[in-house]
Amino acid sequence: MKMTVCIGSSCHIKGSRPVVERIQALIAENNLSDRIELGGTFCMGKCQQGVCVTVDGELFSVSPETVNDFFEKNVKAKLA
Amino acid sequence: MNELCCEIGYKSVNHAGEQLCGDHVDVVEQEDGSTVIVLADGLGSGVKASILSTLTSKIISTMLAAGLSLEECVETIAATLPVCSVRGVAYSTFTILHIIQNRTAEIIQYDNPHVIFLRDGENYDYPKTEMHVGGKLIYRSLIHLQEDDVMIAMSDGCPHAGIGIGYNFGWKREDIISFMEAMNLCGYSAKVLSTLLVDECFKLYGGEPGDDATSCVVRMRKRIPMNMLFGPPSNRDDVNRMMNLFFAKEGKHIICGGTTSSLAAKWLDKPLCPSLKFEGDIPPIATLEGVDLVTEGVITVNRVVEYAKDFVGENNRYDEWSRQKDGASLISQLLFEEATDITFFVGRAINPAHQNPNLPINFSIKMNLVQELSEALQKMGKRIKVSYF
Repeated sequence: MKMTVCIGSSCHIKGSRPVVERIQALIAENNLSDRIELGGTFCMGKCQQGVCVTVDGELFSVSPETVNDFFEKNVKAKLA
Repeated sequence: MNELCCEIGYKSVNHAGEQLCGDHVDVVEQEDGSTVIVLADGLGSGVKASILSTLTSKIISTMLAAGLSLEECVETIAATLPVCSVRGVAYSTFTILHIIQNRTAEIIQYDNPHVIFLRDGENYDYPKTEMHVGGKLIYRSLIHLQEDDVMIAMSDGCPHAGIGIGYNFGWKREDIISFMEAMNLCGYSAKVLSTLLVDECFKLYGGEPGDDATSCVVRMRKRIPMNMLFGPPSNRDDVNRMMNLFFAKEGKHIICGGTTSSLAAKWLDKPLCPSLKFEGDIPPIATLEGVDLVTEGVITVNRVVEYAKDFVGENNRYDEWSRQKDGASLISQLLFEEATDITFFVGRAINPAHQNPNLPINFSIKMNLVQELSEALQKMGKRIKVSYF
């Protein structure tokens, strides 16, 4: 599974740093590092929906508050 | 074109308890590529000294830059300076560094500590000619410049540092020379060298300077061109033209902005790889083959402008940007320390995503950033060219 997090200006202001750090921690906690490839990308042109995260090409709008929920529903569930 | 250029940096500390500095440095660039730098030290300290030294340095630099003779400058100063009511004299010492076409230095000194000249890293005892102008004894020297020559002008507050505290007779000239020889070995820029010298004086004074202390450092160095691309062009059809011009330029290439770097990656046909390593609160950088540095746009450049303004002024944040590895610090290291000639390629496209009123970034801020950055870089003595697309 390939995940990318936008680290462009707009998403950075909306909190891409805490989102990335939380996702990295969640990947480590769940021992998923060999199944998920996490990368960054510059602006995807969807700044209104930031922080933009894609999972295998599908776009999600995540915030530092919703990142745990997002990971449970859209990442772990799919891998299970 | 002459391949040398002069890098100028100066810093002062004020007499303890004074808000104004009694020393003043003035730099005037002439159209033919010559530079006049005047360091003046007014009698006493505080407001009176500040007025004397400001007038002196302004008068000399303006008159010399206009091609008038030294005699006329000195006479004008003697005739115009206000006379101190306590001491009955109008007095300000001065040092003039006239860098002619970046090939020759004309050093004119009146009563300031003599300029320290480092050549090949060692003190060079240059010849001086005595002149009597308007009843004043003035020393004049003409020196042919080489790469890595360093000239250090100072006010007497520097050699007087530590009198009665650490040293009986202050910080001796030989000791200042060996201190600066050691610092010069590290390859620091002019601004950093002057800051190191003045900070050391401040320490020797025990944090309470008994006089204003100023140093002005001029360093001759090879020209190093650098190019920075910031923002996509307002007309999408201009992308190729902009990239062609940018990548045709000699020197290192810096690209700021997510969209801009994606366009460059497409033009180069190489993958753009943003990293996820966060350093401080600046967005991560990216790597792109063929480009020396790729960073995010407005947030990063905004921080670079903050660093630039501090660097030409108080220089308190040098420790931050000179060591950190975030995008803004890396740009600062390249632009402030390495480059001498910088070309900005600025795209005027309006990012629709940035038109959200909730975001602290917008188009006018972006244009201001370039303006402010180039002004600060010019104050550092760099040649700046800005092209808009």
